[in-house]
This record gives sequence, C-alpha cells and structure tokens, in this order.
Amino acid sequence: MFRSRSWFGGPWGGRPKNRLSLEHLKYLYSILEKNTTVSESNRGLLVESLRCIAEILIWGDQHDSLVFDFFLEKNMLSYFLHIMRQKSGGSSFVCVQLLQTLNILFENIRNETSLYYLLSNNHVNSIMVHKFDFSDEDVMGYYILFLKTLSLKLNTHTIHFFYNEHTNDFPLYTEAIKFFNHPESMVRIAVRTISLNVYKVQNSSMLRFIRDKTAAPYFSNLVWFIGKHILELDTCVRTDIDHQSNQKLSNLVAEHLDHLHYLSDILLLDIKDLNAVLTEHLLHKLFVPLYIFSLTPAPPPPSLAVVTQNLAAVLNRNVDIDIQEIHNPRVSSIVALFLLSLVFLVVSHAPLVHALAWVVLNGDHSVFKEGAAEILNSYVEHREVVVPGFGEPNESLEQALDTVTGQSSASSYALSEDSGVESSSPAATELDSQAEAVEAEQTKLRNITDEEKQLLQKSSSAKSDFTEMAKPFLDTVLHALDCTENDYLALLSLCLIYAMSHNRGIKNEWFDQVLAKSTRGAFSYKTALIEHLLSIITQSSQPSSRIRLITVEIALELLVTFTRPSSDETRCITAAQQDLLFSARNQSMAVLRNFYKSEDIFLDLFEDEYNEMRKAQLNVEFLCMDSTILLPPTGTPLTGINFTRRLPCGEVEKARRAIRVYFLLRRTCQKFLNEKESLLPLTNVVNLVQVENVLDLNNSDLIACTVVAKDSSKQRRFLVIDALQLILVEPDAKLLGWGVAKFVGFLQDVEVQGDKDDSRCLHITVHRGGVTHNRTPLLSAKFLFDDHIRCMAAKQRLTKGRSKARQKKMYQIAQLIEIPGQMDSPVFAVGGTMATSSGGGSGNSSGSSSRSGHHRPMFSTSNRVPGFAAVLRGNNSAGVSRTQMAQNRSVEGIRNESAGRSRRRSPSSTSGSNLRADHSDRERSPSISMGSHSSSQSRENSQPRSTGNRSRESSPRMPRPRSEEIPLEDFQHSRTNSPHSRGNPSPASRSHTPIRVLHYDQLSGHNGSPREASLGGTNALLSQLNGLPREVLPVQSSEETSFIGSDGNEATGGSEGRRRGAIETV
Amino acid sequence: MSYAYLFKYIIIGDTGVGKSCLLLQFTDKRFQPVHDLTIGVEFGARMITIDGKQIKLQIWDTAGQEAFRSITRSYYRGAAGALLVYDITRRETFNHLTTWLEDARQHSNSNMVIMLIGNKSDLDSRREVKKEEGEAFAREHGLVFMETSARTAANVEEAFINTAKEIYEKIQEGVFDINNEANGIKIGQQHSPTNPSLPGAGGAAGAANGGCC
Repeated sequence: MFRSRSWFGGPWGGRPKNRLSLEHLKYLYSILEKNTTVSESNRGLLVESLRCIAEILIWGDQHDSLVFDFFLEKNMLSYFLHIMRQKSGGSSFVCVQLLQTLNILFENIRNETSLYYLLSNNHVNSIMVHKFDFSDEDVMGYYILFLKTLSLKLNTHTIHFFYNEHTNDFPLYTEAIKFFNHPESMVRIAVRTISLNVYKVQNSSMLRFIRDKTAAPYFSNLVWFIGKHILELDTCVRTDIDHQSNQKLSNLVAEHLDHLHYLSDILLLDIKDLNAVLTEHLLHKLFVPLYIFSLTPAPPPPSLAVVTQNLAAVLNRNVDIDIQEIHNPRVSSIVALFLLSLVFLVVSHAPLVHALAWVVLNGDHSVFKEGAAEILNSYVEHREVVVPGFGEPNESLEQALDTVTGQSSASSYALSEDSGVESSSPAATELDSQAEAVEAEQTKLRNITDEEKQLLQKSSSAKSDFTEMAKPFLDTVLHALDCTENDYLALLSLCLIYAMSHNRGIKNEWFDQVLAKSTRGAFSYKTALIEHLLSIITQSSQPSSRIRLITVEIALELLVTFTRPSSDETRCITAAQQDLLFSARNQSMAVLRNFYKSEDIFLDLFEDEYNEMRKAQLNVEFLCMDSTILLPPTGTPLTGINFTRRLPCGEVEKARRAIRVYFLLRRTCQKFLNEKESLLPLTNVVNLVQVENVLDLNNSDLIACTVVAKDSSKQRRFLVIDALQLILVEPDAKLLGWGVAKFVGFLQDVEVQGDKDDSRCLHITVHRGGVTHNRTPLLSAKFLFDDHIRCMAAKQRLTKGRSKARQKKMYQIAQLIEIPGQMDSPVFAVGGTMATSSGGGSGNSSGSSSRSGHHRPMFSTSNRVPGFAAVLRGNNSAGVSRTQMAQNRSVEGIRNESAGRSRRRSPSSTSGSNLRADHSDRERSPSISMGSHSSSQSRENSQPRSTGNRSRESSPRMPRPRSEEIPLEDFQHSRTNSPHSRGNPSPASRSHTPIRVLHYDQLSGHNGSPREASLGGTNALLSQLNGLPREVLPVQSSEETSFIGSDGNEATGGSEGRRRGAIETV
Repeated sequence: MSYAYLFKYIIIGDTGVGKSCLLLQFTDKRFQPVHDLTIGVEFGARMITIDGKQIKLQIWDTAGQEAFRSITRSYYRGAAGALLVYDITRRETFNHLTTWLEDARQHSNSNMVIMLIGNKSDLDSRREVKKEEGEAFAREHGLVFMETSARTAANVEEAFINTAKEIYEKIQEGVFDINNEANGIKIGQQHSPTNPSLPGAGGAAGAANGGCC
C-alpha cells in the first residue's frame, strides 16, 4: 500500500489531475497495457490501478457513459483475465483486488445496458471457472460474493449470458454448488442463495439442464452430506448424557434445521421436475433408509459366533465389513423420532410428506426394498425410482459436475446411473449396479454379513417376525409413548405425532382417517393412541411424576385434536376415557392441595403460572429447535433448560409444576365440557380501576400525601385504598368530590417501610407482581404525609390492605382446588365441583354467599382458646394507640353516612366500639352469630391445623408474618348478600366439628372475593351514577370496614400469633 | 497473514441505508468518499489491533438474501457481531429496526454483540430520526449506539472497532466459546508472522491496512 501510493503519487508523467474522469481511465488502461506481466515490482501499481478502475467505472455508470464505452471498447476485462491467469503474479494480493473490483462493478452498476455489455462477452464466465486459490479466506469470500452478486442479476433475459444451451455450460451454478459443503458457513449460505436464485428463474431449458445434468449428483451429495451430519449429531446425543457439550449439539441441530429449511425452500419454489428428483432422493436415500430404518428395533448385540465370524471376515477381506458398516448406519430412536418430527414441521411439500407419513403409519419392512412407491406414483407421473439406501454417492459432486460440462449430452445416462437414479422398469432394476443391489439387500437383512447358512436362517426368521408385525414403525412410535420410566422418548414421539397431524402438506382428515382405519383385529391404532395419551396424562397428575410439563401440554393438545368431533357434536371419546381425564384433573388438584400454603409466594406462584400458561402458546416447532430435548430429561436448572422442558427442582418448582399441571388439565377438561373459564384469573380485570378513570370519592377515605419519586420530583396526591388496589388520585377539575386515578397498583404487591428519621414519611414500593420476573417496581417512592398520625394510618391500611387482598385470593384458590373440608359439606356439593367448572360468576357467587350466610355463625370459636385470646386482645387493644381510636372516630362519621348507601350491613359493624365488644362476647359465647368478620378470624385459627394435616410432604410451614394474620371482616358481602341467604341457619348443631368449621369459613372467605365485592359495590353505586356523562368507576368504600376491623384485627392478629406460639410450646 | 482472532460480522438493515458503503469505508479506506459517488461492497476484511493483539474482522453484508427463510435463519448464526443500520433521513428504516432485531435475536447466538448505527449523519438537514430516538432504542434493547456517515467516514472506524472491543471483552470474560466456530470467532493460526516475504500474506495485509496510512 505504501509502495503503491508512492508510485502513484510519484513523478509519473501524464497522470490526470481529476481522479474520476475518462482521462484517468485512459491513463490506467495504459498502465495495464504496459504491465501485462505481473511481477514483484509492479504488483502494487496494478492493484491500485484495478482499484481506481472500479471507482471510475461506477462514477462513469452514474455520470459519463463514455467511460463505459471506453472500457468495453478496449476490452479491459480481458486484461483482468490475463492478470489472474498468471501463475507468478496471480497471487492472492492481486486476485483479491481483482475480485473486489469485479464485485464493486457488478454490485453498483445501475445502468442495465452497461450490465449487459459487461456480460456479453464470455469473460465473466471465464473468470468464474478460473481456479483461484480458495484456501485464502479473502479470495474465497470475494469469489463467492461475486457469484452471489451475479446470481442476484439473474432473470429470464440475463440467464442467457450465464447458461449456454448449446454447450450445456452453466458455470455460475455448477461452480457455486461445488462449495455446498464448504467449512465456512457464510460460503455455504451464499451457495444456497445462488442455487435458489438460479432455480427461481423461469427458463425451461435451463431448468431441464439443472434437472437432467446436475440435480441427481447435487441432491445425492447434499443428502449424503446431511446424512453424515446426522450421524455426527447422533454420536453427540449418545455420548452426551450429562448435557456437557450442549453448545455443540445445539449447533448441530441448528445446522440440520438450516439444511431442512433449504430443502423446503427449494421445494416451495414448486418446480415440478426438480421437486420429483429431490423428493425421491430425500425419501429413498435419507428418510426411509436412515430415519425410518432407525425406528426398527436395534439388532441384538452380536453373539460370540457372529463376532468370530466377523473377525474372520475382517482378516480375510476387511473391505466388506467396512462397506457394511457404512451401508447400515442407524441412529438412536430418539434422534430418529426427532428428525422425523423436524421433517414434518419444516417441509410441507405434499408428495414428500404424504409418502413419508404413509410409511410411518402403514409401512412395513418391505419399504426398505421398494420405497414408498405406491403413494409417490399418485403424485408423480414419470418417476425415476431411486433404490432406497443410505450410502455415499459413487462420485463426488465435483467429479460428477466435471463430467457434465465435459461430455455434454452423452453423459446423461451415465450420470443418472452414477447417482443411483434409474428408470422404473424392472429390467432396469436388474441392470442395477451391483453395489446398490448389495446395499438394498443388506438394508433388508440388516446386520447379516454374508451367505453363511446360519445367518441366513436367522434372517429369514427375522423376516417372518416382520410379517407378523403389520406396522412396525407405527408400533415403535406408539410404544415410545410409554412413560413408565420417564418421558424421554415419549416427548419426541408426541412431537412426531403432532407434527404429522399438523403438517400443511397432509390433510388433517387424511391423517385421522388413516389412523382410524389402522386396525389389527380388534386393535385400533387410534384407540391405542388415545389410551397412550390418557396414560401420560394420568401419570403426569401423580405426585412426583417424572413427566415434563411440555409433554403433558402436547399430550393434552393431541388428545383434543384426536377427539375433535368430526361431524356430529359429540367428541369421539368414550365415557371411560373422559372419566380418566377428569380423574386425572382431580388427582392433579389433590396434588396441588399439598402445596396450598398461605405464604406469600404461593399466591404469587399461582398467579404467575396462570399468566405464563396463558402467554405461552404451544409451539412445537420452537420446541424442536431446542436441542436439549434430545438429551435425557434432567431436573437441574443449571443446564439453562426452560422450566417446562425439564423436571422441577426443589419445593418451589414442584409447587409451580403442580399448579401448572392443574391449570392444563382444568383447561382441557373445560374444552371437553364446552365450558368457559369463569374463576380464573383470580383478578377480574373488568372491575379494576385504571389510570385516568374518574372515581367518585365522596365518603371514601382519602389521605393527602406528597409523592417524592426517586428523581426528587414531587406530586401532590390523595391515597385511596380499594379492596384490591392502591390508587393515587388527583382531584377532578369538574366534579366536586371526584378524583382522577393517576396511578394504580395492586395492594398485594405493596411493600411499606417506615422512615427512621421522619415519622411522617413512608417508603412505598409497588412491585410488578409475579415471581419469575425481576423487573423494576411499578412505583418506588417516598410518601410524605401531613402528620405522623395520617402516616401511621396509611401504613396500617396499606399493610392490612395487602394481607386482606392476599387472603381473599387465597380463599379463591382454596375454593378453586376444593380444599378438603369443603368437599364433605352437603351444601358445597351443590356448587362445589360443578361450580368450579360451570356457571356464570354471578350465579356462583350468590350461591356461595348464601352458603356463608348459612354457616357464618358456626365456625365462630370452636377451635379457639377463648380466655387466652381475650386477655391478649385486651392488652393489645390498649396498646393499639389512641391515634387509631381517634381515626376510627373520625372515620365513623363517614362510615355512618355510607351505611345509608349500603343496602345491608351487619348490625355488628355499626361502630368500632360495638365491634370490640362483640368480639369479646363472641369469645365466650360461640353460638352468637357474627358478621363475616369473625369468620375470618376463625379461619385464621383453623387453618394452621388443617394445613398441617395436608402438607406433610411439603416444606415446613413458616409462621406467617404478623401482618398477614390480620383477618379483615368482609364487609362487602354482608352488603351484597341476597336476603334469603341468611334465612335458616342451624348453627349450633354443627359448631363442634372443626373440619366443618374450616370448610365454612373458607367459603365465607371466598364469599368476600374481590369479584363479588366489587360487583356488589358496582351494583350498589350504579343506580346512583346513572346518567353521569363520563365513564366512572365506583370505588368501594371498603376502607371504612377495614378500619373498623382494624382494632379487632390488630387484636386478633396479636392473639393469634401468641396463641400459636403457645401451642407450639405445649 | 496471522491474527490472534477472527471475528465475523454481519451487517443488517433495510436496503439503501448504506450498509455496503459503510463496509467498504471501513475495510478499504483507499476509496475516498466522493460527494456524488456511492460505492459499496458486500464483503470485506480488515486487521485491527485490540489490546496489542491482531484481530481480523471479516464482514459479510447479507443484502439480497432475505427472500428465503433458510437463508435468513442461517446467517445470523455464525456471526459474533452485527451492525444494525438505519438511515437517519428515512423514518421507515428506523421503524423496521424492531423486526430486524427480533429476527436477529431469534436466530443468533445469545452472545452476539449488536451495534445500532444511524447512518448518513452528514445529511443533518434531511434528518427524520433524532439522535435521542436512536439512543433510546439502543438503551431499551441493550445495544450500543452510534451515528455514522459512510460519506465523511465519521465514526465508521469507531463503530466497527467498538463492536470488536466488546466481543473481545466477552472473550476475556469467557462468555464466548471461542472453540466453537459457529459463534463467529476463529482462533488464528498462532504460528508467528513467519515468511513475511510471502506475497499473499504481505499483500493481503497491505490491502486490509490500506486505510491506516
């Protein structure tokens, strides 16, 4: 470079000043003329000249047509050729520049006539066939790019510059495909692009050339190359039991997918003749002899006799043994199932996928000899039969292509023979080259080496075995569904069935029909399949099942697919089968109950899993891009394997798994019952307050505060605490007493911390919810209140609101998964199992509220320790602070006002002091009927015991934080209860049975679920709001109730904690 | 020529954003940008030095290969770095970034370093995409961002070299498996710079380093 610069800039006479001009090109031409021989001394000069020529030509193309005229007139391309052909000077230095110049030329030329002129003499083709030093990566890069650039210029007009009909010359294509197996991936990609660009051109004679002269050698080599790649993949799977070389495996899989997509892209171009050849090769040189063959049971390990014979054979003529090894390769059934799945997931060319599906479903061992002839005949009229067998093409692609271009038309027949293509007449088959006959024979007889009598006998007996098994491949696929040990094979088998039944090239009915008709005596394959699926589902619902979530999901999906009603409305599923499905769901529910805990994380997990399940659509194609499913299932997340694709690790993941299995089964059962989900998600979004909603805040508790964000920006807001949400409002400009929501967050995700230095200050964080995403919180700010009283009030209400919101959802879950105790209630039986899966929300909720109405009194104190608790409360309420009392009083006014609005309210909640009195009364007299308030309390008491019973195998229960234990009375439901709901309780008779107690109070807990509460609230307010022009969401005035409850709650909370402590010490 | 590592790059983005010009500008500075002449090339290589080590950057423009699914899915894999280019004077090229990024993320190995490039920064008068927007997009998606001009060569060098530095750091951290060529990194034949008289070696190095003088 330095040299070239100095030369150029040196005292060289006649160099024009304007770099981009015709004069300069003329000057450069003179340099080329003077330096026809490349030598050590002029290399630099030549390189610089070639570079400048490119520049000037592009400039000329855009500005001065005379430049191009001069270039063509002087035939300057021939100088290029002359330079590159010189041994001495054709060093990569000069060649790289030459190729770069050519690339720049062809990439940047806009003028079409210029392009035509450049291509018109055969120089470009001569450059293409020149043997560059391809070991130089830069030369290789520029060269293949040169071909790619040219291939992008191909169309029906320009094709004639590249393809010579008379000489059967098509260097652009034939030179390019020689690099189909180049170690550099970018080169391989370029080759694929070039070939696809070539096939795309609609020129019949060119396509005929491609098919007759190059298709067979190219495709047979391609297929052989893919096959070898697969053997490598198989080795990797076999040796990598411990997920050690996952990177390598995933690269191999990705690489194989590249191949498949390339083949699919060719097939999608829909060039009939080409596709026929490719289909034959794929089917009979790869899919049948390698993939399908691997579905047959592996030969038994050779006996000693055979080993000895082999040894003898090796000693005598080891070549035969080697050939045999090559000709009979097989991959593990895992890999075979995986590869077949990929074919059906990627390729949609009907003749190919149909034939392959037919082989899988109907084929027997004769296919290794005859191929899938029948089915292919129906697609292709004049097919050239390829004898099945996976073997190396007799000729390398390069050799084959050389014969093509060398011998022109005469080589046609020889070529097809070379590559294993023959005409379909039986006579021709006899003429078949010996190697192939041997190969086919060997494929059929599998591991039998020679003509030894003994071995022949063996082979014939094996043959007779085959005839008994009508559909050996389908049997293998179905057999793989057996999950007794694990779901390693089953998952891949499911993938294959899924892929076959969802392939666009195969009509769904066809697959279904073939499967339905596949019977052997009384044995129906379709029934067998459904039973296998159900067995997987049943096993997956067992505790500590070894079946991965993804397997369950696909199995359920397939179950739905294969029982899809054909014409009539009913699903093709027997009552017994449906029972199996439902009992699996019930079983999964039972498993889930073991994980039901009141720790925060369970609720988070539960909701998170539900969202995950709804978000993640089953995508088997994506699944099959994941190489890890080829390795034995593992539990450890250290492998980086997605949770659904491995076994759970640890208690939390076991809980997640149990939740997810239940959700999946529940969803499927609902599909079978034609029901809509009515109980999930736990939060009913419709009833939530959204940002910018305008809210009626009259009579609501509002706490003024200043929100100081992290960036010190301050906003004046009012804090409103709804049943489920924390809302920050700004006064509405138009309506007095109304506010606009500026921020909403779930109370359940709120974290409150006091400030050590400032008693008027709270640090509030609202998380985004969900356990798996560690994202920034929704809100994290300092809240500044007017005085420490309001600050404490806010803190208390947020803390209680949080636990209350969580408790409500826990009740909902308890209801959903039918926590035992609820089940043996006669009342529950009405709405219980049915209610979870049926009915609209409103009907359901009214049902449950009626129930709670019935039984509210009963749980009361049956498992309390009255005296103890009462004393504690006394202590506690005394300590509860005067400020609270003051607050209560101030609240009271509002509450009383709102009492008028609420349709019904329990007399006990009319005042704070009354409430407290009631509490202590109740402690002593169990039979007194209380509001749901007390119900929550007693649930608190009863729960630990029942959970203790339930969760023996789950992790030890952590004592709940105190704040969690505050049972808040459910004020809403008492408002929303229908009148008849409290009609006829007979509480006293049942009050002694603790189990019942548990059951009822949970019911009542559910009763207080946000949906109902807000429904009720909505109803209550709607009438008032009628006629208001703006969209308005009423805020339930639950604050009051929570405040009323707060006294008592604080007390019970305290007593609760200590009581438990007491029990523990006992 | 010998190098410690070879990094493979790809350049992606809508057509006409100046990908091949960027590439040529970086690999072969002898092509001095001229006001009314746009020249590009879709392949190039150049030596750079990072941390005292010779590193060869090999850049593949993928233009014209988007038509086939098999091609798009393969070329992202096997690259250690990607330059995602848009044209600051054409809003739509910026709007398409998400699609490009999705494609890249789906098919590439997760360690691939992606640099976002707003090209044609010399045409400030016709600017349609603010620099801040580019910065925000890059921040949101965890990319490195830079505005360049293939015409004035502003920041071109930096764009390629900063990407290389980031890849190099990842290698030092052990994030990249350098023995796996599918990651787009090749270890050079470390047999010292022998026979410098070899025409191939000297010449290619000269061509590659041309711009530095």
